[in-house]
Amino acid sequence: MISKQLVVAVCTACSAILFGCTKEPLNNLTQEESRIYTTNSDTTTNFGNYKTYSISDSVAVLDNGQSYKELKPVDQAYIDAVNKYMQQRGYVLVSKASNPDLGIDVNRIYNTATGYFSYDDYWDYYGGYWDPYYWGYGGYGYYIPTSYGIYQITQGAVSIDILDLKNAPSKNKIDIIWNGLARGEGIFNESNADGIVKALFDQSTYLSTNQ
Amino acid sequence: MKIISILPFLICILFVSQLNAQKGEVKMNLQYSYALPMGNFKSDVISNGSPRGVTGDILYNVNNKLSVGLGLGFQDFYQKYPRDVYNTGDKEVTSAVLSNSVQIIPLLAKAEFYPLGGKQSMVQPYITAGAGLGITSFTQYLGEFGGSNNSAGFMAQGGAGIFVPFKKFGHSGFRLGANYNMVAYNKDGFKNLNNVNFQAGLFFPLH
Repeated sequence: MISKQLVVAVCTACSAILFGCTKEPLNNLTQEESRIYTTNSDTTTNFGNYKTYSISDSVAVLDNGQSYKELKPVDQAYIDAVNKYMQQRGYVLVSKASNPDLGIDVNRIYNTATGYFSYDDYWDYYGGYWDPYYWGYGGYGYYIPTSYGIYQITQGAVSIDILDLKNAPSKNKIDIIWNGLARGEGIFNESNADGIVKALFDQSTYLSTNQ
Repeated sequence: MKIISILPFLICILFVSQLNAQKGEVKMNLQYSYALPMGNFKSDVISNGSPRGVTGDILYNVNNKLSVGLGLGFQDFYQKYPRDVYNTGDKEVTSAVLSNSVQIIPLLAKAEFYPLGGKQSMVQPYITAGAGLGITSFTQYLGEFGGSNNSAGFMAQGGAGIFVPFKKFGHSGFRLGANYNMVAYNKDGFKNLNNVNFQAGLFFPLH
C-alpha cells in the first residue's frame, strides 16, 4: 500500500522536475537571435528612379517623449553602415546643398516608461526633430503613408528613414518611402550596427538605382 | 502560466484526497512521456518531438477487465526556427528567429480495458480512452517579442499498451504504451494541437 504522503511527494517531485525542464524560449536566444529587423516601403515607389542621397550628420534621439540630436560612436556606426550599403546599391552620396534625390534620417528611440510606445507618435512629431528646413524644404510637411505599421515597444529601437526629396517640390510634401527598424538586444552596440543595417538592406532588394 | 504550472500538483492532491475515500482498489499510473506533434501542429507550429512530459492517472478498478478514473499530464513542446523573413503587414517585412512554445495539460475522464484481465499472464495488454479538457498555453516569439495565448478546449485520447506486474497477479509493475491525443485549438489561424505520446512508467495501488 502506498501512503498518501508518498503520492503527494512523488507528485511534488514530478512537478518540480517537469516545470524545471520546460524550455523557456527567451532563455534560448542569443543576442543576435533576439533581434528583429522590420522594413516598410511605399510599394508605389520605384527606387530605381533615384540616384543621389544625403544623410543626416547626427541622429535624432527620441527618449520618452523628448527629442534631441546626438552623434555617439554608435550613431556614427549606423550612419557609416547606411552609407556603405546605399553606395553598394549604386546610390551616390552628395551634400545636402546639392539637391539630393533622397534624404536619410537615423533615429534612436527609447521608451523606458511603463506601457507601450506607438510609432504613430514617432511620426506625428517627425517635423519637430527633423524640421523640413533641414532638407531645404521649409514650410513643407511630412507625409506618412497610412500603411506604415504601428509598433509597440518596451525597450528601444533604431529607425532609419528614406525620404523622397526628388518629388517633394511637386507634391508639396516629403514622403517617407522606406523605413527600416531594428529592435532587440544589442542594437545600441556599435559593433552590431553594420550587421543590422546589412540585414535591413538584404530584405529590401528593391533598394537599388537604375540611374 | 503560473496557474497552469501548479495545476497538476494541486489536482493530484485533490484526487488523492477524494479517491482514498472510495471503496475498491484504486491505483495510480505515473509515466514519463515523449510526444510527437501531428497534423497541423506538426506542419504549422512545432515539428520537433517533446521529451519533456509526464502523465498520471488515478483509476478505480471496476472489475478485472475495466478501470475508470481521471488522467492528468503535462507536455512541453518547443521549437526555434532559424532566422527567416516573414510578411507581417501589407508592406511590412520582418526578419526574425521564430520560437514556438506550447504546453498542454490534459485533464481527462478515462477508462482502461484489460482484454486478459483475471487471466494468468505476466504481460497484460490494455486499451485506454479518455475525454475532457486540454488546457493549452501557446507562446510565439519573433526574436524576443511575442506573447502567450492560454485556452482550454475539448480533448480526446485513445491508446494502447502493456503492463507487467512485478510479480504474478501483483498490484504494481511497469507500464509501456502510446496514446493519440486530439487537442482542439483554434486561435490566430492555428488549428488543433494533436499529438502522439509514448509513455513508460509505473503503476501501483493507492487504496
